[in-house]
Amino acid sequence: MPIYDQGYRRYEARGPLHRIRFWPITREALRLILARRAFLGLLAPPLGVFLFYVGRAYVVTRFPEVGRVLPSDGRMFGEFLDIQVFFAVLLSIFGASGLVANDLRTGAILVYLSRPLTRRDYVLGKLGVPIALNLAVTLVPGLLLYGACLALAPEQFAKWELWWIGPAVVAHSIAASLVVSLVVLALSSLSRSARVAGLAFAGIYLGLDMVRAILQHGFNLKAAVLLSLQADLQALGVALFGVVDRQLDIFWGWPLLVLAVVALGCLAVLRSRVRAVEIVT
Amino acid sequence: MSDNGEPLVTFEDLAVSYGLVQALSGVSGAFRSGPTGLLGPNGAGKTTLLKTLLGFLTPDRGKLSAFGLDPVRQPLEVRRRLGYMPEQDCHVAGMTAAAFVAFAGELSGLPRDEAISRAHEVLYYVGLGEARYRNVETYSTGMKQRVKLAQALVHDPDLLLLDEPTNGLDPEGREEMLTLVHDIATKRGMSLILCSHLLRDVERVCENVIVFNQGKVAKAGKVRELTGTRRQVFDVRFKGDGAAVLTDLKDLGADWREGEDGVRLFLPEGHGPETIFRLARECGVQVRHLRPGAETLEDVFLRALGHEIQS
Repeated sequence: MPIYDQGYRRYEARGPLHRIRFWPITREALRLILARRAFLGLLAPPLGVFLFYVGRAYVVTRFPEVGRVLPSDGRMFGEFLDIQVFFAVLLSIFGASGLVANDLRTGAILVYLSRPLTRRDYVLGKLGVPIALNLAVTLVPGLLLYGACLALAPEQFAKWELWWIGPAVVAHSIAASLVVSLVVLALSSLSRSARVAGLAFAGIYLGLDMVRAILQHGFNLKAAVLLSLQADLQALGVALFGVVDRQLDIFWGWPLLVLAVVALGCLAVLRSRVRAVEIVT
Repeated sequence: MSDNGEPLVTFEDLAVSYGLVQALSGVSGAFRSGPTGLLGPNGAGKTTLLKTLLGFLTPDRGKLSAFGLDPVRQPLEVRRRLGYMPEQDCHVAGMTAAAFVAFAGELSGLPRDEAISRAHEVLYYVGLGEARYRNVETYSTGMKQRVKLAQALVHDPDLLLLDEPTNGLDPEGREEMLTLVHDIATKRGMSLILCSHLLRDVERVCENVIVFNQGKVAKAGKVRELTGTRRQVFDVRFKGDGAAVLTDLKDLGADWREGEDGVRLFLPEGHGPETIFRLARECGVQVRHLRPGAETLEDVFLRALGHEIQS
């Protein structure tokens, strides 16, 4: 193939480096993920659930007698977010399990690390992807649902006793999104295969919950809640939204502590794996 | 063209280790403007030097300076002035070449519009203009090598680090890649470090060379000076007991090694082909082939590594 003499020019216009250097990483990864039609299909169910809950809020506020069967207070948001977190997990499996694994497989990680980026920039850039996806199905619809409830029944929801719903939606969405994102990213960094990372995440998320169920039902071990990531997140939701769930009847500080330890552990794994690539590759 | 003025990179008494393994033990040297070859066998410390230059590794001791900056303390400023073409495959899964190279430019600090514009230019330059909208994963090995070069070039670095750029290429692809690298170094005036175990690649492209062995600089200098005709070199084939002739030649101070075309002889000053013929006649051996040659970089390399002399 010929070399085009006119095809290369020197570039002398270097400006200062961007402050938010991780943004192009997040943006391009999101662009690639959202370009997959199959993935867009995954966004439909959480949207459907959101519309269902808006409809439910409408029915409950218009026909108060229905409220005897279906709660129309903070518990409704707890149930809603519980479902949405499940979709967030699905989105993370299909959208984020390859984020680091694919970079390790294709060698792209060296392209990132040999640029004016820190390892923190790289991790933040990648972490931004599952967080954005997760917040898109938890925080955004959660707040929209809250807004819809306020608009439909201000006399019911704009009460001083229910001021905490908005902050609770934000807190639960952020906590769930952050933990799920960190776990899927850490698992992604431990493999060169997106499928293996995705299966490992599904296994951990669902498998540990099965172990929790066996221990709880078989041995009446309440503390088994702490074993399961899913149960820990649900327990946090129970505490935040006042949902009654006997299986998750545990002091909210413990699941919070477990989630914090898991998040820190994932950060340590990511730090170690990305550092190892610089040295070993 | 290079000016060979102030060194772009200097390293002095540089020591780097991986735990207990000493990868670089007190090496000193400099990379000046222009193309420089970095030679050495596996484990010699070439890649370790590049990684330290990129700020991946922290030296145990010594000084390293790139463009007057410290890669340990100012890695981002150093990296934005470097272009790195890794040895192994590298591309972002699912991206076209145009998107990938533009993305690489953006990561290097170029504004998005400029990165896109330059990505197209650079892809044309490396000969991938027609294929730039194809997914990189569908590329052949040669095309992937070109994409790697393009991503290293897109931000117009001051120093290009090429780690085995002809790896996995067929002879034609290798020739094209070397032509491209030579063009970058000469016509585009870009400084580069060519890290390779293929001596002919370095000989073809580079003006200067640094030979690494066991974590130390074994030899450094201009390729022309190192491969000059300080010693007379002959490729010889004998019929009969050639070993006897070689033993006699060794007594005269000559070195030899097995070459591609018989035995490669390095005669000391004051001796020429007549010495070979005389000793062959004395030993009753026939000289079937004798061709004068120049000392190649391979000879320099092997001499630096202490592998040349065979008894």
